[in-house]
Amino acid sequence: MTRAFVHKTHSSAQVNHYLRIVIFFISLLLFCGCRTDHRFVKKAVFKDSHEIAITFAGPVDEAWAENMANFSVYEKPDPDILSDIRSVVLSPDRMTLTIHAKEPISQEISHKVVLKEIISGGVSQGTAYLTVKKLYIGHLFSILMGAMIIQNFVFSKYLGLCVFFGTSRKKSTAVGMGITFTIVIIAASLMSWFFYQFVLKPFRLDYLQLVVFIGLVSLTVQGVDTILRKVNPALFKAFGVYLVLVIANCIVIAVPLILADNEYNLWESLMLATGAGLGFLIALFLMSCVRERLEFANIPESYRGLPIAFIVAGLFALAFMGFSGMSLF
Amino acid sequence: MDPLYIKLALGGLTVLGCIGIFFGIGLGLAAHKFAVETDPRVEAVQEVLAGGQ
Repeated sequence: MTRAFVHKTHSSAQVNHYLRIVIFFISLLLFCGCRTDHRFVKKAVFKDSHEIAITFAGPVDEAWAENMANFSVYEKPDPDILSDIRSVVLSPDRMTLTIHAKEPISQEISHKVVLKEIISGGVSQGTAYLTVKKLYIGHLFSILMGAMIIQNFVFSKYLGLCVFFGTSRKKSTAVGMGITFTIVIIAASLMSWFFYQFVLKPFRLDYLQLVVFIGLVSLTVQGVDTILRKVNPALFKAFGVYLVLVIANCIVIAVPLILADNEYNLWESLMLATGAGLGFLIALFLMSCVRERLEFANIPESYRGLPIAFIVAGLFALAFMGFSGMSLF
Repeated sequence: MDPLYIKLALGGLTVLGCIGIFFGIGLGLAAHKFAVETDPRVEAVQEVLAGGQ
């Protein structure tokens, strides 16, 4: 009786432990974007195309808010170029301050707002240097959707076409290739990100990124091949053929290069790699659905096979152009 | 030539060489650990059979 009881508490404690770890990671992700850099400032967000709203922890003095010299706004990469501020408006409860800029503020770039000597109830709260950026989850999601649909690697960047045409003849082949590709690209780009950030950049070897990334991609493929062959032979039989083809795909080398160019962090890299993999899966699936039907269609003799596939891919690219310029959040 | 460039080039060679050796050994060990026994007779029979597919 006692033993069973002990066992039960032990397992529930373990579940609690895992739950705590999961909650910790989720909150870490959530609060990445919500944190501000000053104790008296609760929130600093983009409000409109021209406005930045700042919420304080307590009421601030009107005299301080009226002095325009107390405020400056600039884009984080260019601290020398200050944005022109048209007006600063304090809300009636003196808790929220809205800064209107003369020119539209680009929300893609994080901005710095400097509030000199915040005065609340006659007491100075010190100078605040705030970073304003888009909500982090929204930013990550827009990277994911951007890589998957809006800037689909196959249909709007024309990358990875040889494998795309080679494996999109049958639906089962296409899905197998897409899933293998997604797994490999996530592993390869995370490894390339790690090596770029922690080996190439500190040793100032960025100019060798292309060589290193090609090596890392083939290494990942070889590693997955070796391990999968032993651990899960059934899966290897299904995916083994496509695994070698992944090396010859240029999306798998484009993603690490984009990561290195844009200086993405770990989460952003993960989202871009997942988006690229799923986007390729979608492209393959759509294409294979059409090509299976084309088998029974009455096509002029000179267009049969690959030529009609190219035309269909072009039509898909036109359809995907409808997504271009779309932005989420 | 600027000694800085020589230093960078030599550093690059060393670092990349280390990465290469590290992963080479890693892959070799993995291949050893996850080795799959294949029947030598399968290959022998395939050698004898007519080629093509």
